[in-house]
Amino acid sequence: MQSIASYAWLVPLFPFVAFAVLLAFGRGFRTSGIVVGSAGSAASLIMSLLVLAERLGTNADDYNAGFEWIAIGEFTLRMGFEVTNLTTLMLVVVSLVSFLVNIFSAGYMRDDERITVFYAYVALFVSAMLALVLADNLLTFYFFWELVGVCSFLLIGFWYAKPEAKKAAKKAFVVTRIGDAGLLIGILLLFWHMPNRSLAFTDISNLFGQPGMADSGMTTLIALLLFLGAVGKSGQFPLHVWLPDAMEGPTPISALIHAATMVAAGVFLVARTYDIFLASPAAMDTVAFIGAFTALFAATIAVAQNDIKRILAYSTVSQLGYMMIALGLGSLAGGIFHLFTHAFFKALLFLGAGSVIHAVHTQDIREMGGLGARMKLTAWTFAIGALALAGIPPLSGFWSKDAILTAALAGHPALFAVGLLTALFTAFYMARLFFLVFAGKPKTGARAHESPAVMTVPLVLLAVPAIAAGFVEMPWNGWLGEWLTGTAEETHGGSLAFVASTAVGLLGIYLGWAVYAKGSIRRDAVSSRMPWLLRALERKYYIDEAYQRVAVRPLLALGRGLQAVDDYVVEGIVRFAGWSAIAFGRAGIRLQNGQAQTYGLTAVIGLLVLAALFVGRRFW
Amino acid sequence: MVADWPILSLIVFSPLIGIAVLLCMPGHRSNWLRTTAVAASLVPLALALWLYAEYDPAAGGAAYEERMTWISVPLNKEAFGSVASFRMEFQYHLGIDGLSLPLVLLTAVVAVMAALASVHIKKRWKAFYLWFLLLETGMLGVFLARDIILFFVFFELTLIPMFFLIGIWGLFNREKAANKFLLYNGLGSAIMLVAFVILIATAGFSAEQQADNRTFDVVYSGSYEALHHNLNDPQSYANQPGGGSGADNPYRLTDGMRTALFVLLLIAFGIKLPIFPFHTWMLRVHAEAPPSIVMIHSGVLLKIGAYGLIRLGVFLFPEQAQQWAVALAALGVVNMLYGAVLAFVQTEFRLVLAYSSVSHMGIVLLGIASLNEIGLQGAVFQLVSHGLISALLFLIVGSLYERTGTTRLPELGGLARPLPFMSGLLLAAGLASLGLPGLSGFIGEFLALLGLFETQKALAALAVLGVIMAAVYVLRSVLGITYGPLNEQHAALPDARLIEAVPMIALMALIVLLGVYPSLVTDTLQQSFGPLLDTFIVREGG
Amino acid sequence: MLSSYLTLAAILFCIGLYGALVKRNAVVVLFSIELMLNAVNLNLIAFAKYGAAPSLTGHIFTLFTISVAAAEAAVGVAVLIALFRSRGTVNIDEFDEMRR
Repeated sequence: MQSIASYAWLVPLFPFVAFAVLLAFGRGFRTSGIVVGSAGSAASLIMSLLVLAERLGTNADDYNAGFEWIAIGEFTLRMGFEVTNLTTLMLVVVSLVSFLVNIFSAGYMRDDERITVFYAYVALFVSAMLALVLADNLLTFYFFWELVGVCSFLLIGFWYAKPEAKKAAKKAFVVTRIGDAGLLIGILLLFWHMPNRSLAFTDISNLFGQPGMADSGMTTLIALLLFLGAVGKSGQFPLHVWLPDAMEGPTPISALIHAATMVAAGVFLVARTYDIFLASPAAMDTVAFIGAFTALFAATIAVAQNDIKRILAYSTVSQLGYMMIALGLGSLAGGIFHLFTHAFFKALLFLGAGSVIHAVHTQDIREMGGLGARMKLTAWTFAIGALALAGIPPLSGFWSKDAILTAALAGHPALFAVGLLTALFTAFYMARLFFLVFAGKPKTGARAHESPAVMTVPLVLLAVPAIAAGFVEMPWNGWLGEWLTGTAEETHGGSLAFVASTAVGLLGIYLGWAVYAKGSIRRDAVSSRMPWLLRALERKYYIDEAYQRVAVRPLLALGRGLQAVDDYVVEGIVRFAGWSAIAFGRAGIRLQNGQAQTYGLTAVIGLLVLAALFVGRRFW
Repeated sequence: MVADWPILSLIVFSPLIGIAVLLCMPGHRSNWLRTTAVAASLVPLALALWLYAEYDPAAGGAAYEERMTWISVPLNKEAFGSVASFRMEFQYHLGIDGLSLPLVLLTAVVAVMAALASVHIKKRWKAFYLWFLLLETGMLGVFLARDIILFFVFFELTLIPMFFLIGIWGLFNREKAANKFLLYNGLGSAIMLVAFVILIATAGFSAEQQADNRTFDVVYSGSYEALHHNLNDPQSYANQPGGGSGADNPYRLTDGMRTALFVLLLIAFGIKLPIFPFHTWMLRVHAEAPPSIVMIHSGVLLKIGAYGLIRLGVFLFPEQAQQWAVALAALGVVNMLYGAVLAFVQTEFRLVLAYSSVSHMGIVLLGIASLNEIGLQGAVFQLVSHGLISALLFLIVGSLYERTGTTRLPELGGLARPLPFMSGLLLAAGLASLGLPGLSGFIGEFLALLGLFETQKALAALAVLGVIMAAVYVLRSVLGITYGPLNEQHAALPDARLIEAVPMIALMALIVLLGVYPSLVTDTLQQSFGPLLDTFIVREGG
Repeated sequence: MLSSYLTLAAILFCIGLYGALVKRNAVVVLFSIELMLNAVNLNLIAFAKYGAAPSLTGHIFTLFTISVAAAEAAVGVAVLIALFRSRGTVNIDEFDEMRR
């Protein structure tokens, strides 16, 4: 009997069929659109779980299959899929979250007239994301990497009539495209660097895994270029600017694409090509430090934002930075572990935020308050998500964060410090968010209701893994790491990291409580003393303005300049050529004035010139 | 049965049958005329599809060749000693290979779509379709000709119809655009003709020993095979340093001469392609010609430039092409970035597309400059893909213009509400144009860059900037039209009619098909570059 | 001796050329043309007498020239009179019939 893994290609196919059906017949659908879209991802989920079940018990071999996509001369470019433990894990995460988001959207998007279009885009996204996860070579990976990017773009710009949505969609596409260009160059270089001209992940791992292939300039260059792709997709500094703006999209999309799945693809890319990075210490350091910087940087911004979704978006950026720290420190399992837990609790938080927005029709947390009493289920599940994010034991986020901090403590104390500081900020802004939204007194007159069951059930279902997902890897039980990489990591057991991360998490929550719920510390305690700091944080360190100044405007100026060149220099030369022909003709017309005397004079002058030439030639 | 037909001639001249039918029709029946024109352009498409199905890349196109003596001028044979006959001979010689076939198919497809899209033409239908079909014959002939004089005739045959099609049915500045078109292309043709004459007079000169081993058959010819053979065979006259009697060989092509010829051809086809700085005529045509004609122009005519550059430039002068590879790549990068930056600042959508064509033709140049099989295939793929994409874009532009009366970006916006179907396709075509995987644009771009990365990494990396820029200008213009707040005037516009929707869907389907299954083109191309690449290997090895 | 005649003829020719090219009165232009012809005649005679191979041909040629010149002058004046009748002027600037 063939293994289930050999049918893994069905996983992305189901949602793709749903997409095709919705595209072809969507106009007549409404409820059936929801059913088709959800059924597609449900089928994927079942299939992924089957694959997982098969691989959990046994020590299954990786399954790989594919076909020749383009054959040119002696080179072939292949399309194929590969089932490993890592891809299986991602399959389950992606299909589970997308299934729940599909259900949630049935409530959240109920009143939107383009709901079938929404479901079609989501189905296409899910399909592309699952295919990306399954890809067995970099070309296939890139193919779907771009497709998920375009789905993200389409969904950010889903409410296309809003100028902000249009701008955000454009920004998301262009900024990630910069990273993608790096990835593309990396792939092209890698193709010619590989002795067998293969882009398959197994070949890459075989080649760069050899000790002889260690550090060379080319390896570092390729690694950094691949990382550039990851930086764009995963919203790492300096290409993070698109992710907060992407919150213009519908909230379920933010949960699915911009929190749980697509933005994690960058982390997944680094994990998938990990051997290249391992072969280049410089690239590893870059990954770790960019990750660390992003983690802290985004966490500080999140403290000063007032839009519920933007806070969560910066939190996502920050947590993705965390994953990068782990990868840069050599802890593949730590990074993937955090990706795994983060997917659940961040999707939970976003869907919770969606539930809140659905109830109060605003995204500004200053206008909310006291919702805890009216929306009990949302508040409780949100609290679980927030605590998981803040790293409070025994919720899932704690364990994965602890794994990273342990690795940092062993690898680089400075990174450990940054990680702790980030954890403090994380706990603080989550406490701020929670208390401002759910505690206190209601600020708006609107009667907020708990959302319908179709929206709360996914919250509850997500809360379960947000609590429990961490138990797959605990300091005394490295089961996930062993399953993923084949060898158990030896860095466990540091009780310092354990205690410290719990302490800063609790401290952050206490501070948040003290400032925003109890009021024992004044809210403007910091901002009154350092208003410039608050302004800088609110303006996100002026990064957008800086880009406007160093990239957009010079580009526009260059364009205008080149337009002038095109109009005046290139066209000018052409016009001059035309004009000179006309001028020559005009001069000819002057001579042809019909007067015999002019003709005679011309003839005489011509004769003299000829004579002069004839005579003069003797003297040369 | 069908295999015995002169299939290539049928492909080339079947539009002329349509012309004959059209001539017998009353000029005011626009529907009859259009139906006839569409039917007449469907014939070459059907034949080309049949040919594609039958074509065996491994065997090549030898089975389909057609040759007849066309022009034969006897020359004074007393000038030589033992000569049986001395003549100048140009043949009516059609042939097909993996390089021509995709382009012939592209031409046939785009012509059908453009004929369908000509519903927007509002006057003098009969003359329009007459010129249109004549243009199609010219285009098909260019890709199938196997003799440079025949090539030249077909090449010129595309200019005259285009001149009238732009000049009569264009927008406000149509006469100026038509003049500019004719002047530039006339200049290009003149330069090309100079190169051709020199080629025939030197490399076209060949002497073959007669069966009796004593006398020679001496011929000037412009056949591709003869030229190719004479240029690359060390025994041929074109490569002999001196004549028999110790005098200089007048037929010898020195390296300097070859370089000059290569550059002449580069300029001649560069005007057509267009290569910066010869691109300004093409902006006018994009801005002024009727959309269905721009479909042809941008979809097929620009490809003639690239085809000529590959077929006559690179194939005949591989050594020069190698010497000039860096320059070609640099030109490609300049084209790509210059076009992209300028496309970014245009306020007229047609000009955005025009500059984007400049940018995309840069990718073709990059593929050619890579001078390896991947790059060359990428270049040809890019030709086909850009042909389909720009045909689709201008099809949509035509329909948009008919509804809104403008294609200026500041006056448009939010059209996704009244025109969801067209806006969706416009977005999809835009995404194809910026090289989204899964659509055909990506494959050409990817292969061309992949090829170039083997030979010239730095320039190739620079070219990737153009990929980013493509996203910037495409999204700026396409989203400017479809997204954002709606202009109230446009609130009640009707979406695409069936006759517009059919070609749009057909083109989009082809774009997706090629993007998902590129082997449709690449497998056909398989054997086409073999001989050329062999010469490189021989030269590098020896 | 020869050079004196040639110089005189050259001077005469240049005067005639000047008159033919710049004078506005058509009659004066005709005179000037006569002057040029006579300069040529002078050359012919001079060469016939003092040239490298003296012969009568030069004299005979001169006679031809004189008679042709007379005929030309007659035709020229006739055209001029016809022009004067139709245009009422002999100003040569206004005769640009060749242009139309």
